[in-house]
Amino acid sequence: MSLGEIGIESHAVYTFAHELVCALVHDCLPQPYQSEDGGVAAAWVLSHHQVVEAAWNRWGTVLPLNFNTIVRAGNGGSASENLVAWLKAEQESLKGRLAAFKGKAEYGVQVSWDPAVIAWKTVEGSPDIRKLKEEMQSKPRGTAYMYRQRLERLLKKEMEAGASEEFKALYDRLRRVAENIRVDKIREAREGRQMLMNLSCLVSVGRYPDLETELDRISTKEGFSVRLVGPLPPYSFC
Amino acid sequence: MARPRATLVDLLDRILDRGLVINADIIISLAGVPLIGINLRAALAGMETMLKYGVMAEWDQKIRIREAQHRMTPQVSLTAQDERLAGMEAEVPRA
Repeated sequence: MSLGEIGIESHAVYTFAHELVCALVHDCLPQPYQSEDGGVAAAWVLSHHQVVEAAWNRWGTVLPLNFNTIVRAGNGGSASENLVAWLKAEQESLKGRLAAFKGKAEYGVQVSWDPAVIAWKTVEGSPDIRKLKEEMQSKPRGTAYMYRQRLERLLKKEMEAGASEEFKALYDRLRRVAENIRVDKIREAREGRQMLMNLSCLVSVGRYPDLETELDRISTKEGFSVRLVGPLPPYSFC
Repeated sequence: MARPRATLVDLLDRILDRGLVINADIIISLAGVPLIGINLRAALAGMETMLKYGVMAEWDQKIRIREAQHRMTPQVSLTAQDERLAGMEAEVPRA
């Protein structure tokens, strides 16, 4: 069956099936998609995503493949024949993976904080830091400068400890809500914020409200912000 | 909790570096190793920087035109796509 010209560079997307499993494909040259033009590459990535989403919306469950997965002719078979033979051979494994994704979606969770706000809160909440500050008031300039350096180091240390604690606490809470979590690289946050955690979470439909609850809880803490993206097909859990 | 649409940055890692990797004879690979979006990463790294600094108007325009000319997406309306492209790096204010 055909899904229309929704493939990369408007190639027609169609299906190959074996029993209960089908693959969505479009034709291409037997070589990987490569480009030095970021705009072109970005358009390809968007097309890829749109096809995966179209399948997801239509069939309720999808197993996304890595970009540039290209089936070739060979070993006495055409590309089509090779693909169908592979679907047949992998039938049970594919059915199992698809079943595992049923009713679930991926969500991107990014938690950031405003270091200025958190620094202030850390100072207020740290007896050690407050003590150091008090001592510093009465010192002559040279010594006061050294105190200040100590203060900065201590503040940095306590903020880092705070960040670790927050990460761990939230991760543990999310682990109870999500079937699976992948910890991704921290990205540069914006507007003077610092990203603490960048997660991909696999969450079943029924638990989505619990995910929102946990994220609302953290986003209302002073100095914290959360970005939630999704639902996405389960790219990160294949 | 506000849920912004996925941006290009959200999708890049997911699509280029993840998804099922098929290790089989029938898949085109480089010296026996499946391709994992390596060559595209360099081109797209520049994109991320451009997106960050808002230097995107011209590219947005090009893509919008290209999409309008070619896309016949059954599930996604053109408006939604425009929205998505315009909000490529936009972050919806949270709750």
